Parts: sequence; C-alpha cells; structure tokens
Amino acid sequence: MLTANFPWLTTSILLPIAASLAIPFLPDKDGKTVRWYALIVGLIDFALIVYAFCNFYDFSSAEMQLRESYTWIPQLDLKWSVGADGLSMPLILLTGFITTLATLAAWPVTWKPRLFYFLMLAMYGGQIAVFAVQDMLLFFLAWELELIPVYLLLAIWGGKKRQYAATKFILYTAGGSLFILLSSLAMAFYGDTISFDMQTLAEKAYPLKLQLWLYTGFLIAYAIKLPIIPFHTWLPDAHGEATAPVHMLLAGILLKMGGYALIRMNVEMLPDAHATVAPVLVILGVVNIIYAALTSFAQRNLKRKIAYSSISHMGFVILGIVSFTDLGMSGAVLQMVSHGLIGASLFFLVGATYDRTHTLMLDEMGGVGQKMKKIFAMWTICSMASLALPGMSGFVAELMVFVGFATSDAYALPFRVLVVFLAAVGVILTPIYLLSNLREIFYGPENKELAEHQVLVDAEPREIYIISALLVPIIGIGLYPKLLTQIYDAKTMQLTARLRNSLNELTAERKEPEAIALLKSAEVLTAPSLN
Amino acid sequence: MEAIYQYAWLVPVLPLIGAMIVGIGLISFNKFTNSLRQVWSIFIVSIMGMTMTLAFAIFWSQYTGHPPYTQIIEWASAGDFRLNMGYTIDHLSALMLVVVTTVAFLVMIYTDGYMAHDPSYVRFYAYLSLFSSSMLGLVISPNLVQVYIFWELVGMCSYLLIGFWYGRKPAADACQKAFVTNRVGDFGLLLGMLGLFWCTRSFDFAVIGERLENLVESGALSGAVAALFAILVFLGPVAKSAQFPLHVWLPDAMEGPTPISALIHAATMVAAGVFLVARMFPVFENIPAAMNVIAWTGCFTAFLGASIAITQNDIKKGLAYSTMSQLGYMVMGLGVGAYTAGLFHLMTHAYFKAMLFLGSGSVIHGMEGVVGHDPAYAQDMRLMGGLRKYMPITAITFLIGTLAISGIPPFAGFWSKDEILGKTFEANPAMWLVGWLTAGITAFYMFRMYFSTFEGKFRGEDVSVKETIRIERLQAQGFSMGPGAMNSQELAVADEAHDDHDHSHGHHSHEPHESPLSMTFPLMALAVPSILIGLVGTPFANYFEEFIHAPGEVVPPLGAEVDLPEFLTMGGSSIGIALIGITLASLMYLRHKVNPAAIAEKIPVLYNLSKNKWYIDDIYNAVFVNGSRRLARQVLEVDSKVVDGLVNLAGFVTVFTGETLKYFENGRAQFYALIVFAAVLGLVIFSGVTG
Repeated sequence: MLTANFPWLTTSILLPIAASLAIPFLPDKDGKTVRWYALIVGLIDFALIVYAFCNFYDFSSAEMQLRESYTWIPQLDLKWSVGADGLSMPLILLTGFITTLATLAAWPVTWKPRLFYFLMLAMYGGQIAVFAVQDMLLFFLAWELELIPVYLLLAIWGGKKRQYAATKFILYTAGGSLFILLSSLAMAFYGDTISFDMQTLAEKAYPLKLQLWLYTGFLIAYAIKLPIIPFHTWLPDAHGEATAPVHMLLAGILLKMGGYALIRMNVEMLPDAHATVAPVLVILGVVNIIYAALTSFAQRNLKRKIAYSSISHMGFVILGIVSFTDLGMSGAVLQMVSHGLIGASLFFLVGATYDRTHTLMLDEMGGVGQKMKKIFAMWTICSMASLALPGMSGFVAELMVFVGFATSDAYALPFRVLVVFLAAVGVILTPIYLLSNLREIFYGPENKELAEHQVLVDAEPREIYIISALLVPIIGIGLYPKLLTQIYDAKTMQLTARLRNSLNELTAERKEPEAIALLKSAEVLTAPSLN
Repeated sequence: MEAIYQYAWLVPVLPLIGAMIVGIGLISFNKFTNSLRQVWSIFIVSIMGMTMTLAFAIFWSQYTGHPPYTQIIEWASAGDFRLNMGYTIDHLSALMLVVVTTVAFLVMIYTDGYMAHDPSYVRFYAYLSLFSSSMLGLVISPNLVQVYIFWELVGMCSYLLIGFWYGRKPAADACQKAFVTNRVGDFGLLLGMLGLFWCTRSFDFAVIGERLENLVESGALSGAVAALFAILVFLGPVAKSAQFPLHVWLPDAMEGPTPISALIHAATMVAAGVFLVARMFPVFENIPAAMNVIAWTGCFTAFLGASIAITQNDIKKGLAYSTMSQLGYMVMGLGVGAYTAGLFHLMTHAYFKAMLFLGSGSVIHGMEGVVGHDPAYAQDMRLMGGLRKYMPITAITFLIGTLAISGIPPFAGFWSKDEILGKTFEANPAMWLVGWLTAGITAFYMFRMYFSTFEGKFRGEDVSVKETIRIERLQAQGFSMGPGAMNSQELAVADEAHDDHDHSHGHHSHEPHESPLSMTFPLMALAVPSILIGLVGTPFANYFEEFIHAPGEVVPPLGAEVDLPEFLTMGGSSIGIALIGITLASLMYLRHKVNPAAIAEKIPVLYNLSKNKWYIDDIYNAVFVNGSRRLARQVLEVDSKVVDGLVNLAGFVTVFTGETLKYFENGRAQFYALIVFAAVLGLVIFSGVTG
C-alpha cells in the first residue's frame, strides 16, 4: 500500500483536517488530552510528509512529482489535483515542522482548548494545501479557507486590540485574494480551452498586455501576504495581537505563502510580465529592507518590532526573485525557509518573554537577564541568526541573494550598484535594532519594579526543546547550505532558465540601443572566464 | 607529515567542540555544570593545549619546507556557481596559528585566577573557547567568503565577551557599539567582496589579485573602480583593527573582563584586520591609490591613538589607545609595502601587548582588594602607585612590556617597529616623521603608565582622589554639577546603581596583593617572547623575513650585507626619541620635577582635545546615533500616520458604503459575484481588443 501511488499529499492535507473534526468528541476534562492529541496528529503528519519525500521524491528532478488528480466538479473543470516540486516541497516540510512545534508551543493555552486545537489542526491541513494544490480554483479556495482559522485564532486568543487586528487582517487578505480570483478566472477563460490546471495555464501563451494585467492582480494579493510595503500595515497589528503559537505560524508559514505564490504564478506563469515589471519589484524589495528596518528600530513594542523585522527580511526574498540568476533564485527560496525557522523562533521567544514580564513595552523592561539566563541565551542566539550571522541559515540566504544580484546582468550597472549598496545598508541596520532590542530587554541592572511584580522564572525544558529543534536546521543549513539547496535547485535553475529566456526576448524586442549597450558593457566587465 | 595536514581542520574544530559541550551543559544542566568549575576549565585548557601542540607541529613542518597545503570542499552551489570552503596552511597561517594558540592558552590559564570568584566562570571559558575556534578558523581560511564568515564570528564572540557582565550598563552599551561599528566595516567588506567577485569571478586571494591586474592592464576595468573595491574591502580591517574613523569601539570594549582585553582586543582579533590586509596583499599591491589610503590611515591612527593615550587615567583605556596606535603602525607598514615588517610587528605586539594587558589585569585584581569591585576605582591610575613593592612579578613583567613597546633594544618591539619605520622612510619621509614622533609619544605615555602605577607611593586610600573620580563619573553620566554643589541624594542614586553589579567577594584590605600563580605564570611566560622574539627578525639575520614575505617577493639571502650606517641612523633615531619620551615621563611622574597639570593648563585646547578623544565619540553620537534614531522615528511616524492612516480611512469608507449597500437588499454574495464577473469580462475583452 505504501508505494509511490499512495495519495501521499492528499493524505497529509486531509489527515489533520479529519483529525480536527474528532476533537469535539474527545473525552477531555482539563484540556490536557486535546493538546497531546493535536501534537501526536501533528507529528504523525510531519513524519508522513518526511517519509513520502524521502522515498518517493526525486530531488534531482525539476518536474512536478507525487501528483494526484481527481475530478471534482467536471462542469467547472475543477479537479482535486496536488503535487510537489522543488518550490513547494521545502515549504511543505517547513509547514509540517513549524506547525508541529507551534502545537507544542501552545501548551499553556487554557482558554477554550478544544476550539484552539481544532483550529490549529485545520490550519495545518490548509497550509499544506496552499503549497500543494495544482489547480487555480482550488488554490484560491485553500488560500481563503486558511484565512478563517487565522482570523478566529486572532480574534479569540489575541491581545487587547484583537478585534481590530483580526478585522484588518481578514479585510486586507480577503481583499487581496479577490485579485487572485480575478486573475485566475481571466487566465482560465483565455484562449480556446477552459482549464484551471496550473500547468495548462502556465503553458498558455498570453499577450504581454494581458500578462501585465494578470501580473498586477496577483502581485496585489501576494504583496499583501508577503508583505511588500505599502501593503504591510495589517501585519504589525496582526502580529502585535497574536499569541505565540499563532505568531509562529503567521511569521513562519503565512508570509511564505506570499513568496511561494509570487514565484509560482507571477514568475512561472507570467515570465514575460515578470521580466518587464522586475525593476519595480527591485525597488520595492530595497524599500522593504530599509524602511522596515528603520520602523523596527523606532518601535517600542517588542512584538511589533519583531514583526517589522520580518518585513525587512522578506525584502531579500523579493530581491532574489528578481535577480534572474540561479544563485539569487535559490537564495530567495532559502531565505523563505530560513526566515520561517528564525522568525518562528524569535516570535516564540517574544511569547515566552511576555508570559513572564506581562508587558511588551521595552521601556518597562530591562535587566531581566539576571533572572532569565537561559531565555537570554536563546534570545541572543536567535537574534544572531536573524541578523545573518555566518554559520546560520540567514547568512547563507542573504549572501546568495547578494552575490546573485550583484552578478546579475539583467540590470544596468549603476542601478545594480545602487541596489546592492542600499541592501547592504540593511545589513548595518539589522544589528542596530536587534541588538538594541536585546540590550533593552536583558542588559543592565535589574529592573526592580518588574522583578517585584512579576515572577521571572527561567526557561522550562519544553521551551528549550522548541528553540533547539528550530536551531538544528538553522545551524545545519548555515554550516552546510547544500543540505537544503540541493534538494530544490533543479527547480530554481529551470525557473531561472525560463526567466532568462523571457528577459532576452524582451531586450531583443525592445531593441533599446541604450539597454543593450549597457548590457554589453556589463558583459565586457564580466568577461573573464571562470577558469 | 601529510597526516598533520589532513587533520589540520581539527585546529579550529577542537575548541569549538569544547565550547559546545560546555555550552550545552550550561543550557541543559545549569546548576550542575556551574558547580564543576575547575573541571571545565581544565577540560577547555587541555583542549587548547592539544590545539597548540598541533599548531606547533604544523608550524615546524612549514618551517622545514613543506609546501603549502589546501583542502577544499564544495559548500554552496547554484547553477554554474560554486562556492568552496576548506582550509589552507601556508607560512602566514602557520605563524598566525602559533601566535593565536599560545596567547589563547596562556590567557586561559590566567583566567582561572582572574575570574576565580565570578559566578559565570564556566560561561567565560565557553566563550573563550568559542572565540579561539573562530579566530583559528579565520587564519586558515582559503578565500574571502570564508574570511568574512569567521570575521563575523569573531565579532560575535567579541560582542558576547564585552557584554559578559551584562548587568553593567557601560558593558551593555559597549558591546552593542562594538558590534555595530564592526558591521559598518563589514558592510564595506561585503560590498568590496561582491565588487571583486563581479569583476574577477573569484573569491580566491591570489586569483583575485592576478585577474584584477589583468583587467586593469587591459583597460576592461578602470583603475579607479579597482581602487574603490580595494578600499571597500579595507573598510573591514579598518573596523576590526580599530583604525580611524572606525576605532571608537575599541576603548569602550575594555568594559569586558581583562583576559579578553588581552586575548581579543590586543593580541588576536584586532590583528585580524592586519592579517586580512596581508592576505589581500596580492590585490592591494597593484593598486597604488589603495596602498596610499591604507598607509595614511595607519599613520594617522598611530598618531591619534598615541595622542589620546597620553591623558588617559584608566589603565585599560590607556592600553587600548596604545593598541590602536600600534595597529596603526602595522597597517602603515603594510600600506607602504613592508609586508614582512607589518606582520613581524603583529607577532611581537601580540606577545608584549597581551602581557601588558594581563599585567594590568593583575594590577586591577590587586587593587580590587583595596578599593572594591568598581572598575572606575580599580582601574584608575591616580589611585595606584608604588605597586612594585606589593606585586613584584607583575611590576617586572610590565616593565619589560613597557620597554618592548617603547622600542628599546633588544626587546621585541624595537626590531619590528624599527623595521616598519625604516621601510616607511624609504617610501615616504613625511609618514616616517609622524611615525617617529609617535614612537616618542608611545615611550612617554607607556612610562607615564608604568611610573604612576608601580613607582612612587601607594595612593589607594587617598580620599580626595576617590572623590574626584566619583565626580568625574557622575558628570559623565550626565549629572551636571560643580564640585561645590553636590546633591547627596543624586550621588547616592548613582552609587547604588553600580553597587548592584558588584559581583562581590569583597574583603577590604589596606594593601594590594600579588596575584596567584595562575596569573603570574602567564605573565612570566609571555615575558620570554617579549624579550627575545625580536631577535628572529634582526636585520643581521632575518629568519622571520625568510619565512614570511609577500607572495612573489624576492628576499635577500640570510647573512647578506647589512647597510650598517643606515641601520644605525634609523635605529639610533628611534631609540633617541624613545629615550626623550622616557626622560620626560620620569621627570613628570617619577621625580615630579615637572608638574603635568601645569603643562595641561598652559595648552588647554590640546589637553582637552586629547582628554576628550578628539571629540570623535561626541560627534558620532550626535550625528550617527541620534541621527539614525531621529530618522527611524520619522519613518515610523510616516508608517503609522500616513500609510496606516490611509488604510484605516479606506476601511472606514468601505464600512460606510457597506452600510448603505444593505438598503439595496440584493445580498452581498450576488453583488460580489457580479463584480468579479464583470471585471473578468472587462479584462479579457480589453486585452483582446488591445492585444
């Protein structure tokens, strides 16, 4: 039964959802059975995913694998079709990993535990579905469905302004997803055949103008999710109000949906439009890095500070996507995975700190390092990971994006120099806000007022375990990045090759003497052979 | 011999394993791990001993003529891009391995005595081991990316160690300042590295140099761009080796425990910048503009550091500025093309400056018994004096170090500094003049330090000096008050603030005591190279130059004719000015014939310039620190008022219109569907018509 034909992905999507439906019938008095149940389901599902990828997935192939397709509503040509390739596979693994850990992180949740774990498991399936489905309509459904648990998790277990944050989140994202629907419908109805299958859609030849419209539609939706400034303002509010486990999911996985969909649809299906719009995205990426780093520095609320730092890091994903080089694209995927891990660990620590200090305002903290030594140590390690310390995954990803972009021949030299320069300014800003954050929480003489009113206990084994579990891949990738890159780079190389094709056509078509001259001059400069 | 090279990767890995075992122990079984204090320190020290043995074996093999050895593995790849990591053992790295491991080994022994009463004793050893690992990894890196990796890692260790006593506010500020300042340098290094990769497609030192030269010669790359890249790369060493204008972090870094001031901020990590310039020498030497920038930066830094060191009262701060000044010499040496001389000074300086710092630690340790655990008192030279009586070993070794740094033959510093000055004179007499004057200032401030610490009578119980120090500190903290108008309450507050972080084992006595053997042994051990190591590089038999010279440089054979008159003039002039410096210092601080305060009053402008570190910290504070804070606040303001404001406004409008829509009673779902359908239709038609 356990062969390549077994519906692995469908099972991994439906298992947590089916399991979540059983939660109301569990005999449970104090909420302790439910959390074990959820954790075990999460672990089983994660093990299932790992087993399937290890045995039935060929890492050296760029093709869609583990495909399954069942007709659902033939009239609409709606099919339940799932699959995984180098783009979705790392993110599915990340989802399984982070969601399971988030379940463990949710241990202290005592308020309506049944509903909470029900939603967590529903999220689990929904998130994997977003990355795995291969049908546009299904993708839209999965995208929308995964919003509902997040909305409820925010609105019921959130902080003081949870209603405002949850409403803003749902309005923003639902508004954005409207554009997904628009663009997908347009793509499906274009041409002779009506189909929602992603591969069929990707093979259709759209005129450039239509591509640009479609591209803009998708971009709005994904710019909200990723987020790209100025579509980001839902994020600090949502992150600022969420509890730690939800937070881990928001930062660890939900943001990556934006990046994933951007690559899957905008880059893969509409390469010509991507080649045209890319310079705009470059600028948006750089703005993301610097603007968010500065706002993070000025923030006095811990959660919002870390939330802005996420936005800043997503800027590197954008830069990688638009670099038109193997290295940059590979770096973008790596940055998504890496930030998934680092972001989740930082947000978990924010939650752990809040559980003790009961304040998020930096002005009210200070000197708590004296009592919370282990939490201090974990904070330091994770902040170092986030500021791209070598030996950890963030550094490799940023380095790959930097080298990829710097050696890209898609842009004129002065433009590239400027972009690399500004992105590198981000490299200075990141330690400024992260280290001053550390200093304000932990360093300095003990804050007497805080120590008197709150019980500042040190980390418990569960918390140390969660952070260690996250650090293993962070450091593992940092020490030997090929560990991760080699399992997906067949796909990113295929993508880049396709993009470069479009780029070359574009430059040839336009016949802009200026652009060509600049490109040529760049080529002369890059001429020396590799040997 | 081959086996040594195959296992040379153990050199950085062994201390890393040690650090990891202790680190995991600290996180998982904190109480138990902390209770095993000396078990861990012996464990870490013996690992370092093994590493040192291996380093000596490698050095010996290289010295006896084994060819350089490189081992690489593919680390990251994408498409046709390959990035390799590994290790390379050549003369330069073998020398650095020996310097780093010996100093690290001795500092670790010393730590046992110095940190004996610290509750975080075990954590300190873990950090020390982690640092040694990163530093050793740095010196055997085969390419620029790997250097960058370890470069950042040593920076992180430095951050952790400066902030080791995290309960102290100055330490908290200093560690952040160090990291961020170094990141500014790394920013340049990263850009330079990317630029060089872009034009040469390689991260390998030798390959970059060769291809860059070809590119510039063939005209494919303008010389100015090449120079720009080289200078950007040089920004890294500027920060790490505390060169002007990124030197500001080093004096503040003295907030860390003294053993790391000796290991990291004197002997090894700060020398990493000089090491990188040496590694990048094949690139730099073909670019005259870059070489000039390097040389002048070093020259100015040497002078700047010395000029500030004159007026410092904190013994560690004084040594820190002196380190900065000596690093300036090394950088200047490399900048004028004196590759061997620069590295020679790196080696001699590593030994005698480590000894000086450890000596100052021993002094502080002794003083703490009298004045308490407050760095402001225990490190202030105005409270010292006459310590030679109480701590003779420390005094003698400190004197040896002082003589070495002042450039008195036959001590180590003379030979290396003289070689730099000689080479500088050939390249640029103006630069030599600055270096020569600085040598005089160096001798002056070092003897000022020695005399006021070890000679005269002990002033530790002097209440009026204590009062002065207290007022100075309060003023530095921002309490504005004259000495006559003290508000006792404020004083109490400020005093309480630092009493808190005394990790006390306070028994107050009236006399300082000599430090235990674990501290004096490293001092005596370091005294040997401080006296003798210079003899390997005398102009008469320059074994050092034979071993370490720039790639491609032709070295005169051993025993070749020495230009004796030239050596005598150069050497004589440096000894001469050093003696003038020493005489002045003894007149002022030993015999008290001349009152330094009176001189200071006569030249208040110069005095204040030196005392206030040329106001560089204040300027940076006003411009960069406050500037970036203001900018960040403004951006946040825009974000929350303008961007988010528009969003909320839009939301408000939607809700409002949503309310009105209700009255149409046609259900939202239908409306939604209708809009979607219309829009799709519109899009398809539109593109069909126009496309």
